[in-house]
Amino acid sequence: MAAGGGGVADPFSPAGVPCAFSPQSQAYFALASTDGHLRVWETASNRLHQEYVPSAHLSGTCTCLAWAPARLQAKEGPQRKKRKSEAIGTSNQVDLLALGTAVGSILLYSTVKGELHSKLISGGHDNKVNCIQWHQDNGCLYSCSDDKHIVEWNTQMCKVKCKWKGDNSSVSSLCISPDGKMLLSAGRTIKLWVLETKEVYRHFTGHATPVSSLMFTTLRPPNESQPFDGITGLYFLSGAVHDRLLNVWQVRSENKEKNAVMSFTVTDEPVYINLTLSENKEEPVKLAVVCRDGQVHLFEHILNGYCKKPLTSNCTIQIATPGKGKKSTPKPVPILAAGFCSDKMSLLLVYGNWFQPTIERVALNSKEPHMCLVRDISICWAPKVETAITKVRTPVMNSEAKVLVPGIPGHHAAIKPAPPQTEEIESKRKLGEKEVSIEERLGALDIDAKKEKDTLPQTNSFPVLLTQGLESNDFEMLNKVLQTRNLNLIKRTVLRMPLHAVIPLLQELTKRLQGHPNSAVIMVQWLKCVLTIHASYLSTLPDLVPQLGTLYQLMESRVKTFQKLSHLHGKLILLITQVTASEKTKGSTCPAQKAKLVYEEESSEEESDDEIADKDSDDNWDEDEEEKGGEKDEDVDEEEEEDAEEKDEENGEDRDVASEKELNGDSDLDPENESEEE
Amino acid sequence: MVEEESLRVVRCGGSELNFRRAVFSADSKYVFCVSGDFIKVYSTATEECVHILQGHRNLVTGIQLNPKNHLQLYSCSFDGTIKLWDYTDGILIKTFIVGCKLHALFTLACAEDSVFVIINKEKPDVFQLVSVKLPKSSSQEIEAKELSFVLDYINQSPKCIAFGNEGEYVAAVRDFYLSVYFFKKKTTSRFTLSSSRNKKHAKNNFTCVACHPKEDCIATGHRDGKIRLWRNFDDEKKYTYTCLHWHHDLVMDLAFSVTGSSLLSGGRESVLVEWREAAEKNKEFLPRLGATIEHISVSPAGDLFCTSHSDNKMIIIHRNLEASAVIQGLVKDRNIFTGLMIDPRTKALVLNGKPGHLQFYSLQSDKQLYNLDIIQQEYINDYGLIQIELTKAAFGCYGNWLATVEQRQEKETELELQMKLWTYNKKTQGFVLNTKVNMPHEDHITALCFCNAEKSENPTLVTTSKDGHFKVWILTDDSDIYKKAVGWTCDFVGSYHKYQATNCCFSEDGSLLAVSFEEIVTIWDSETWELKCTFCQRAGKIRHLCFGRLTCSKYLLGATENGILCCWNLLSCALEWSAKLNVRVMEPDPNSENIAAISQSSMGSDLFVFRPSEPRPLYIQKNISREEVQWGVFVPRDVPESFTSEAYQWLNRSQFYFLTKSQSLLTFSTQSPEEKLTPTSKQLLAEETLPTTPFYFILGKHRQQQQDDKLNEALKNELVQLPLTENIPAISELLHTPAHVLPSASFLCSMFVNSLLLSKETKSAEEIPDDVSMEEEKESIDSDEENNFTEEVQDTNNTDLGKDIIHQLSKSEEKELRKFRKVDYSWITAL
Repeated sequence: MAAGGGGVADPFSPAGVPCAFSPQSQAYFALASTDGHLRVWETASNRLHQEYVPSAHLSGTCTCLAWAPARLQAKEGPQRKKRKSEAIGTSNQVDLLALGTAVGSILLYSTVKGELHSKLISGGHDNKVNCIQWHQDNGCLYSCSDDKHIVEWNTQMCKVKCKWKGDNSSVSSLCISPDGKMLLSAGRTIKLWVLETKEVYRHFTGHATPVSSLMFTTLRPPNESQPFDGITGLYFLSGAVHDRLLNVWQVRSENKEKNAVMSFTVTDEPVYINLTLSENKEEPVKLAVVCRDGQVHLFEHILNGYCKKPLTSNCTIQIATPGKGKKSTPKPVPILAAGFCSDKMSLLLVYGNWFQPTIERVALNSKEPHMCLVRDISICWAPKVETAITKVRTPVMNSEAKVLVPGIPGHHAAIKPAPPQTEEIESKRKLGEKEVSIEERLGALDIDAKKEKDTLPQTNSFPVLLTQGLESNDFEMLNKVLQTRNLNLIKRTVLRMPLHAVIPLLQELTKRLQGHPNSAVIMVQWLKCVLTIHASYLSTLPDLVPQLGTLYQLMESRVKTFQKLSHLHGKLILLITQVTASEKTKGSTCPAQKAKLVYEEESSEEESDDEIADKDSDDNWDEDEEEKGGEKDEDVDEEEEEDAEEKDEENGEDRDVASEKELNGDSDLDPENESEEE
Repeated sequence: MVEEESLRVVRCGGSELNFRRAVFSADSKYVFCVSGDFIKVYSTATEECVHILQGHRNLVTGIQLNPKNHLQLYSCSFDGTIKLWDYTDGILIKTFIVGCKLHALFTLACAEDSVFVIINKEKPDVFQLVSVKLPKSSSQEIEAKELSFVLDYINQSPKCIAFGNEGEYVAAVRDFYLSVYFFKKKTTSRFTLSSSRNKKHAKNNFTCVACHPKEDCIATGHRDGKIRLWRNFDDEKKYTYTCLHWHHDLVMDLAFSVTGSSLLSGGRESVLVEWREAAEKNKEFLPRLGATIEHISVSPAGDLFCTSHSDNKMIIIHRNLEASAVIQGLVKDRNIFTGLMIDPRTKALVLNGKPGHLQFYSLQSDKQLYNLDIIQQEYINDYGLIQIELTKAAFGCYGNWLATVEQRQEKETELELQMKLWTYNKKTQGFVLNTKVNMPHEDHITALCFCNAEKSENPTLVTTSKDGHFKVWILTDDSDIYKKAVGWTCDFVGSYHKYQATNCCFSEDGSLLAVSFEEIVTIWDSETWELKCTFCQRAGKIRHLCFGRLTCSKYLLGATENGILCCWNLLSCALEWSAKLNVRVMEPDPNSENIAAISQSSMGSDLFVFRPSEPRPLYIQKNISREEVQWGVFVPRDVPESFTSEAYQWLNRSQFYFLTKSQSLLTFSTQSPEEKLTPTSKQLLAEETLPTTPFYFILGKHRQQQQDDKLNEALKNELVQLPLTENIPAISELLHTPAHVLPSASFLCSMFVNSLLLSKETKSAEEIPDDVSMEEEKESIDSDEENNFTEEVQDTNNTDLGKDIIHQLSKSEEKELRKFRKVDYSWITAL
């Protein structure tokens, strides 16, 4: 699976650095970098597993590497009668890694023990080793070299089993057939050898430059009608240095066809090739080709006979940096290697630089012909020494994260306007029908307020500032007003402010209450004033509950600890302030505000009693209102007081409506109506 | 393709590594540790498990290197045997049968042929140190019944026994006593801590002991954190001790360095302390080791230390106090609250790990990948502190979201809850906190569940709590003019008559949400959050709840605390079937309709695999574990298996793992034990042939040449023919068997010498015991005398060609052959 190797100076050597995924589960990725270090990475955790520097790493740099087939290791033995669980299972342990060097020696490195296992020198190559292949069954090793020879090694004895001349020029690549009886070698031409007799079985010609990779792509021939002799009908793939075409060849029964069956075209010279073997006729071969330009091309093709036109890739994967800000433009990140996972549905990508690559598993489920992954490699989990020891990853916790504490919108479900089916009830009450909507009313008031503003002599008075601030959402203006600590000033400002500004003010106060606790102290004063002074106005709003839902939740969560105490406190304050307010307002009259529509509602003591009694019977409601309409002469003070009481009940009703959304009716809002008025 | 044996429960890794002190090999390349019934051999350089020595039938309780052959390892076990292993090849050499439970093992270089073991006599709490004579014999299994008593009334832990000053004495501690037995004088001195009489200082009982390797000095660790260094203890009255005090909590283990110049100690502080020259001033620390240090060991070469920790890991530490490798098993320190999950991205098993961390454990490689620090607060390891616990975690949307819940409760009313929602940032390949919710509920969160329907456009999370509510959280757009952002907000709060909400579960397509409120199951429409219907069986509180999948998606399953398993049909809104089963674990398979339920009875745990559509189980496996099974999970296979028999089909696409109360991770396997064992013999055995040093190239070659020359000369000068060494079985056997499995040299010597002796009458067949060797000898002599003949033989041997070619030799070739004839080939025979 290793894709070639390469001395740097040689123009006809393949690009890239020798690297390979471990067989079976791709648990490790071995990479021999140009500085002579062999590094093995864990693919699952992207952690440097080990590093090895061969003693002769400067003279004999590693030119190619190959993992030995996984050996089976009985992990834990069978369990006995006494202890109930036993032992598992074999896991396939990958161990040996064969490294070919520029001076012709082959090193066997044990990744389990972390040391050199043996050195294959005697009788081997005397020039650069170009490719190494392990035999899948018998533990033999095949290597080819610039010295034109192919050597078969017995790794048990570390001796040469056989050495023969593979070509007239250097032999650049090898591949063993799926049944283990044939060997492909590539020199000037591609030759298929019978391993037993070391005789040439077939020749294939086609590449102009040295072949850098050879790979069998199928396990079975496409037409199963003929008996299968282990080789005839199989396809294999070859890629060459400086060649943007990958050729596919078929081993035919007779020597009639020597040319490639078909070819795949890529954007640059292939650096690393990985494929999934197709096990039957219907299953397509999946091919991932990493090119020198850092892109991965994916092909999916059912190999079936001859095809003239070179095939282009089904999907191209590129990686780029995000390019934060305006200055830095996204830069491409080269992909170094790509390997299919054992489920054939995802791809392991190795990208970044050779010394600290990032390994990522990418699922291949998209049908898009081009995938560009944006990756910030600078802040990736860098395999620092510390993390390597403690194996702790710290996920990022930055200030951008949203924080929800009780009372902040989003912590609890928002109180939404009553669902549609409750409209019927509302219409029975005929509130909606009779009245102009609150929006229209506010709109009308807006115009009035503006007119008023013009006429006002003093533009920086607090009520005006407040109104303007709320309208323009001017932060500084609002600060100037809201940060005052003078209780009297607050009261007077609230008293004089236009009614239409009450709801915006409450919303602004809610926002500020959610902020720093210090500012909340002043905001509470404001809130108290607004709620006591404008209680009557607020109670007239039909959509009060959704509008002030957040405020309600906020208050509820803030006072939760002393629930009963604060209820009592709230009730008492309400009573006291109402009493004092009524006394005061007798002296100082409320500034006249012209409303566009005046709706006066008056009630006597008895009436409010009636109302409680009539709550359930909607029929009586109309009568009540008629009564109310009739009594218009009451003075303002009385009206305010009673409205405040009435409001409690109305509020209660509204809530009921709203809380019907909570289907079980046990709304926790009910018991604490008063807290809202605090 | 897989031979269908019966299904067996197998342990799949994650076994305990910190049960006993680790032992280093003589060259510090390997470290050994006991692990259940096995001994594991790890490479200190790569952290990889090189071998597993298996053969004991019960818990292995002690291992020691063979002092006479450092390539061998002794082990003892509860099964009453002492085994001798060749650890480089993983071969069992000998078994000594002692017969009684062995609690610990000690070896001494000076004690010939005997080892020391701790055994249990009569009463359950009385332990004795005895020496066992290991008889010499060539057989594999030997009875070793010759026990001689050394010390009585000792602690069973091997930490409380130490041999000192090259085996002159042995020190044992228990409670408030230190007893020292001198082998030469055969006397025991006993020292009692003065404070043991007054109860005020009753906290200074001994916890461990270590002896100086060269001097008469004993170090003892105490529960109050003090270390006492005893000297002059051969005199019961004049003894002295000095105190070293740094640890604030009990000293877990002590070890002297090889030269005795420094003392290592460790405890719950997770700090390795090195006391140089046994002085209080000269301390060096290696802090932040992560968990309580349970054992400390020192390599015989003196270059490495190894600490075993309570979170099931071993740290290899260099002499200069730098950690160099971590061998980490499945973290087992604490309770598993989160259950078992599979990270869809890495396919790793996820569960509670280190305190405040989630551990990602690769099942394939049986290795921990990493710990994800969720709580991100310094962990203070102290007894009695109430820690923040990571109680719930769930993955959503193919691993793009991770929700975690942490809680800390000091008093009944002071519950601190926090829920964190992490998003996986592909750019940086890591989790980033998106939303943090303080007090998401007013009481404990009982369940957490993402809606994992494939086409759901909006990620949805449901939390249920004991406060009687369940909350639905959705991902919303929080963008403002400054930045683009998404965040989670609460979308809906539901409750049902103030009952505690206990479980929640989304149907496969995400259209329905089932929430159980104590005994009642409520079904909600996930579009409008309307209550659709309720099921109530009055059979106890619902413990598990799950929807059927694929063709069985119309069924809802609930297991109750009273041991009833109910299956409701969602179309008819009626109970389809119910069964009496005390379900502990119920897990749906994500790849099929199957549901695995593990029931608990007094006999053990049983596994039932069934489909919701029929009340008859597909597969039953009785008694999978004697312990209570706490969690289970189906892990999708990368490559599906192809079991054809109906009983095992449920294992085709997923594998089932479960975790018992003692936190062993188990799974099912169909392969027979033999099948699993054979591959060791088949494994790729490449011989290690390494020119050890560059000098070899110079000296080695030179010497070889010299030898060759000498031999040639000798052969020319005198025609006395030595028998070819390769041909004598005794010699070849001697040279080809690994040295450490050979009998002693004295035993072999006479045999070896005899084989080399030349009998005066080589030709007389009677005198030579082995016919074969004689014939070969003859051959070799013949060959020497008839040079011409040998040459021809050599020639034919050297060429690969057949005889046909020889007959058609050209003239030039004949010339060459003649040249060969002149060359002296006699040296070949000497090879």
